[in-house]
Amino acid sequence: MTDLTPITALGDSVPRVHTAGGYTLRENADLALASLAVARGVAAPAPFGLGLPDAGGLAVGEGGRSAFWTAPDQWMIAAEGMAETDFAASLLAEVPGGRVTEQTDGWTAFEIASEDAAQIESLLERLVNLPAAATAPGRATRTGLEHMSVFVLRRTDSHVTIIGMRTLAASLWHALETAVDRLGGTQ
Amino acid sequence: MLIPHPLLGLRDAQEFTYLGDASLMARPDPDQPDAEAAFADYVFLRDNPAGVHRELWFHEQGDRSWLVVTRNTVTHEILGAELATDVARRGA
Repeated sequence: MTDLTPITALGDSVPRVHTAGGYTLRENADLALASLAVARGVAAPAPFGLGLPDAGGLAVGEGGRSAFWTAPDQWMIAAEGMAETDFAASLLAEVPGGRVTEQTDGWTAFEIASEDAAQIESLLERLVNLPAAATAPGRATRTGLEHMSVFVLRRTDSHVTIIGMRTLAASLWHALETAVDRLGGTQ
Repeated sequence: MLIPHPLLGLRDAQEFTYLGDASLMARPDPDQPDAEAAFADYVFLRDNPAGVHRELWFHEQGDRSWLVVTRNTVTHEILGAELATDVARRGA
């Protein structure tokens, strides 16, 4: 049998990490994603006990699972460390009759951690053209970043996840790396 | 230019793409006897008002919703925005 070597979205054998002046930028190759939609007028389900959020919201649940709003009656469900599993099937088992689509391999996630909230905020000011309230802790939204469509998930004060299209992983990494280097004072 | 998205608040117009006159939502019935003439008008005839205009915008780098944006084409002032699905269901 052919001996295949798994690679990350950036083409490496291990997820890339970059640090600069208090910022840590990390490729998260283990994040599973699946989208969930329900028919109009149907009450929002609660997969894995997650309370599905309203527009612009991010809900964090047990076991590294989270959910964020992507459109009316539609959410993305994310699970840490589950990228190698059939997460869409697990989600469908939680929501019988829900419209579930596997999304893991369409996207790539980059985690940015900093020492404090001010560092993340000054970074987001440069990256995305959004009011601060849209990227406050517990908010998640889709927007443009250097002409690429991304989801911005503000998980905590000092942690933001940027999810972008997998085919553009290298361009997105470059944009983020350049921004943290400039702000972190290493460039 | 900022567009007041009914669900997401003020968003940069760069996140959106423009389609055209909101009357495009009123597609003629292809089964009517005058469908050919109606479609010719639908496809080729447009008003081009200097002033208040209702137009369709797609939130491409956002929640992928279609909006009906009311805009003054002379001043570029945006007077309002609502979800096109709401407009269509209301039948306006």
